[in-house]
Amino acid sequence: MTGRTFGPNETVDFVVVGSGAAGGVVASELSRAGLSVLVLEQGPRRSAADFSHDEFDTWFDLGLSNALDTNPQTFRASASEAARRVVDLPAAWYAPMVGGSSNHFTANFWRFHEVDFDERSRLGAIPGTTFEDWPITYAELEPYYTRVEWDVGVSGLAGASPFDPPRSKPYPMPPLPVKSSGVLFERGARKLGLHPFPAPMAITSVPYHDRPACAHCGFCIGYGCEMRAKSSALYTTIPDAEATGSCEVRPLSYVARIETGAAGRVTGVAYFDATKHERFQKARAVVVCANGAESARLLLMSANAQFPDGLANSSGLVGRNLMFNTYAQVHALFEHELNEFKSVQVTRILHDFYDADPKRGFYGGGGLDARSGPMPAVWAAFAPPPGRRWGAPLKALLESMPRAMMVATHGTSLPLASNRVDLDPDLKDAWGLPALRVTYRDHPDDLAFARFLQDRGVEVLQAAGALEVWEDPVLDANGSPHLLGTARMGNDPRTSVVDRHHRAHDVPNLFVCDGSSFVTSGRGQPTMTIMALAFRAGEHIAQFARRGEI
Amino acid sequence: MDPGDVSRRRFLQASGGSLGFAWLAANWPQVTAAAEHAHAASLADPGDHSRLRLLSATQARDIEAITAQIVPGGDTPGAREAAVVYFIDQVHAGAWASGAKQFLDGLEDFRARCARHHPGTRHFADLPEAEQLAYLQHVERTPFFEQVRFLTIVGLLASPRYGGNRRKYGWKLVGFVDQHAWQPPFGHYDAGYAGFAPYPDPRA
Repeated sequence: MTGRTFGPNETVDFVVVGSGAAGGVVASELSRAGLSVLVLEQGPRRSAADFSHDEFDTWFDLGLSNALDTNPQTFRASASEAARRVVDLPAAWYAPMVGGSSNHFTANFWRFHEVDFDERSRLGAIPGTTFEDWPITYAELEPYYTRVEWDVGVSGLAGASPFDPPRSKPYPMPPLPVKSSGVLFERGARKLGLHPFPAPMAITSVPYHDRPACAHCGFCIGYGCEMRAKSSALYTTIPDAEATGSCEVRPLSYVARIETGAAGRVTGVAYFDATKHERFQKARAVVVCANGAESARLLLMSANAQFPDGLANSSGLVGRNLMFNTYAQVHALFEHELNEFKSVQVTRILHDFYDADPKRGFYGGGGLDARSGPMPAVWAAFAPPPGRRWGAPLKALLESMPRAMMVATHGTSLPLASNRVDLDPDLKDAWGLPALRVTYRDHPDDLAFARFLQDRGVEVLQAAGALEVWEDPVLDANGSPHLLGTARMGNDPRTSVVDRHHRAHDVPNLFVCDGSSFVTSGRGQPTMTIMALAFRAGEHIAQFARRGEI
Repeated sequence: MDPGDVSRRRFLQASGGSLGFAWLAANWPQVTAAAEHAHAASLADPGDHSRLRLLSATQARDIEAITAQIVPGGDTPGAREAAVVYFIDQVHAGAWASGAKQFLDGLEDFRARCARHHPGTRHFADLPEAEQLAYLQHVERTPFFEQVRFLTIVGLLASPRYGGNRRKYGWKLVGFVDQHAWQPPFGHYDAGYAGFAPYPDPRA
C-alpha cells in the first residue's frame, strides 16, 4: 500500500465515501490536481492473491458480497406490503471492498448512446413515470468515455457497430479473442440481417500499462481477477490516486453520517473504524460515491435538525427512482463443444434493438449478448428447464454442458418514484444503523421489452443452428447489482438531487457521483457511464476547488 | 527446493502445457503467481470423507440415496460416487449452519412420510430403486426435495474441498477442467473463425 496517511486531527480537502468505480476515479482526479483526499471504504483491502476460483465461496456463500448477517436488507414490491428481511442474494448487491463492485463485475463496457441522454424529448412523457432528459448530452460526456477507455483500459473494435455513437479515439486494445458462443451468435444474427460486433470489455486483451493480458481462466462474473486483467478500480484508479502522494485509502471505515455546521455546509463525516469505534474526519468537502443504494442511505441517515428529511433531500427524491435494468436469459445446446467455461463471459453483442420503437406498443430498448453464464454449479443449479431438473434427464443435460451457451438481454428500466431505497424503520445493522429497505416493482413496459428481447435471442440461437433452445422465465426483479437513479442529476432543484456537476442543490460542499446520478437507466452495463461521469465530476470539482467555489 | 521450481511445476500442471511460448514469455511472472494461489484451493484440503459431522448414519444413507436419484450413476459416476452426501453434511456444519435445523426438520418429515407411504420399510434407502424413483416423483414439488436437489448439484460441482465432487467426478461429468489459463481456440466453433467482417459504413 502506498500513498499518504492523514493524522486524526487533520482537515482534508475532500473525503470520498466509497472506493469503487466512481470513488476511485474521483479520488484519482482530485488528488492529481494536488488536493488532499481521504477515501473511506467500508470493506477490506484485498489484493490479487486474495481472489480464488472458488465457486462455492463466491456464488453460494457470497464471499465478496455485502454480508446479510451484518448488513441486513429488507425488500418489498410496493409500499403497501410489509418488507421482509432478505435471505440468499442481497436486494442491493455489491462488493464492499477497495475497488467495490468493479472487482466482481462482468466488465461489459458499452458506452451509452446519444438517445440515452435526451430520450424524453424524443419520445415524450410516459405517464406514471419520472422519465426525464439528462442535464448533459452524450457529446459532453464523450471525452470522459475516452478517458475511461484509455486510463482504465477497455478492449474493443471502434466503428464495428453501425449503431455506435461518435467517438474521438479508437479503443486502446483490440477485442478479446472470440469464443464459440460469440461465433455462433454472430452467425445467427448476421443470417437475420442484424449487426453483431465484438464486445467492448474492461479486460486486457494485450499487456496494458503495468498489467498483463487476460489468461482466459474464465472466472470473471462474480469473481475478483487474480491476473489483474480486469480493469477494476483496485488495479487502476486507486493505485493512480495513491501514486499522487496526496490520497489515502482507508479500508474498514464505515461512514455513519455526514455532518453539517451552522452555515448548512458539510463539516466532515462520522465513521466507524475497524474496531467499531466512531471517529470524526474533518473535511472541506465530501464526495459520496458509495453506490446507488448506499449513497442514498447515507444521505438519509445524515438527517439532522437543519435537514430533517435527510441531507440534500429538499426535493424528496433521495432514494427514489431506483432502476435495476432488466435481464433475461436464453439457453441453447449445439452439436459440437463450445467449452464456455473458458475465457471472458462475453465476446459478441448487438445493438439493433437499442432504440425504443413506439410501434412495439411498449417503451424499451436494449442489447443482446452471447455469454457463457456463470459456471459450472450456478448453470447446473439454475439452467435446467422443467422436465430436466433431476434424474436421468438432468444427468444428460449436465453431460451436454460443454455444448451449451446463453444469450442474455440487457434493457431499460423506467424511473418510478415508488421504486426506492430508504431506511428500514425496525431493522438495524451490526453497527446499530438503520438497515437498507428496497421497494421495487418493474414497470410493465420493462418486462414486456425484456420478453421481446428474449424472443429475439431465441431467433438468433435458432438461426445459428442450435439443437435446443429454452428460455428462463422473465420474472419481477427482487434485486440487482445495478443500482441507479436514487440521487438523480438535473437543473431543477425541485426535481433532482444534484446539479449537472454532481453538486447537491441544497449543500454547496457536498457532491454525489455514482449510479445514483443516473436520470434514466441506459440499456444495462452502467459501470462505464459511472466511470465517465466520475471523470467529468472529478475534473469540475477540482476546478471549483482551485477557484474557491466550494 | 527452489520456490521458483514449485511455481513452474504448478503452472505447467495448471496450463496442461498447452500455451504458446510467446504468450508465456510475455506473461510468465504474473501467470505463475496467479496460478500458484488460484490452485491452492483445489490442491489443498481435500474433502473429508472419514466422518459425518451433523447427519446420523441412517440420515446420511437416506440423503445419499436421494442424491443418487437426482444425479444417478451408471456408465459414469453420479452424486453417490462423488460423495455429495459429505458436502451436504459438512455445509450444514459450516457455511450454512444457520439452515441446519430447518434442513434436519425437513429430512425427518421426509423420512416419516416415506415410512407411512411404504408400510414395512423403515428407510427410503431400503426401497428398491424403482420405488425410490416413484416416491421422489410423488414429492418432487415439495420444498425439501427442491432443497436436496439444489444441494446435490452444488455439492457435485463445488470444489472438492467442500466434501463433494470427489475425484472431481462432478467436473468431469460437465466437461469442466480446473485449469488456470487457456488459449484460443476454446471450442469447435471459434477454431475456424475467419475474423470479423466489417459492415458497410451507413454514412458512406
